[in-house]
Amino acid sequence: MDCKEVLEKLYLYLDHEILTERERQQIEEHLKWCFKCCQMYELEKNLENLIRINGRNDEVPPSLFFRIENVIARF
Amino acid sequence: MVKTKEEQKEYFQELLNPELGALFRTALRMTRNREDAEDLVQETITKAFAAFDRFEEGTNFRAWIFRILTNTFINNYYRVRDRQKLPSLDEMEEESFFQPIAEGISPEEALLNTLTKDDILKAIEDLPVEFRTVVVLVLVEGFSYKEAAEILDIPIGTVMSRLWRGRRLLQKSLWEYSTRKNDSERKNQEGWTAKKS
Repeated sequence: MDCKEVLEKLYLYLDHEILTERERQQIEEHLKWCFKCCQMYELEKNLENLIRINGRNDEVPPSLFFRIENVIARF
Repeated sequence: MVKTKEEQKEYFQELLNPELGALFRTALRMTRNREDAEDLVQETITKAFAAFDRFEEGTNFRAWIFRILTNTFINNYYRVRDRQKLPSLDEMEEESFFQPIAEGISPEEALLNTLTKDDILKAIEDLPVEFRTVVVLVLVEGFSYKEAAEILDIPIGTVMSRLWRGRRLLQKSLWEYSTRKNDSERKNQEGWTAKKS
């Protein structure tokens, strides 16, 4: 696989979607020796971690728990 | 075996409780407003329980209730004035977020050192709704492309293209915040140095 193809499939690789096992292996092989693509991959991966970790970092306010309890009690 | 009303309620709560955090977070990203987010979650739960007899036990409750959340959002909370012009695909393909390695600075360093949680959330919330929804469902909440497609009732191809575009836009925003911060920090340092001399 060349760089162009790897970069096109990078998101699918990151998301564990669509690609066949063989394609994943080819991408992994490429990332082992291609510094540029590996750097892109690391950046995307770190960015995704940032998005996921920060995106999940909101507590449910106690007021909402209270409201939900009331709603369910009245069902 | 048919459940009593009490058993139904208990079963519903059992399924609901692990999802509350995710439902609230998602509501917050979509409405961008804590009060509306709380209202949206309450409304979703009320609708979900009303429809619960139609939920098939053993199937994907999470996707089911998220579908109710997103539908409720679109029907009741998404105002026409929130609609933004979507950047065309052509516009986006020309911009390259990634600075070439030749510039010497690892894009990672520039980004990660300066971004705060608020930056990330702002960047997500600034996305047009169509992109924001898939970014939140897939990247934050971990739904698969297929699940996101079912929740939003759109083809998988559309999920993929919105996700791709959402990610590009996010990077663009975050890159801008980060360079703006670096610039102002550098200016502060220069100003301080100037005062010293």
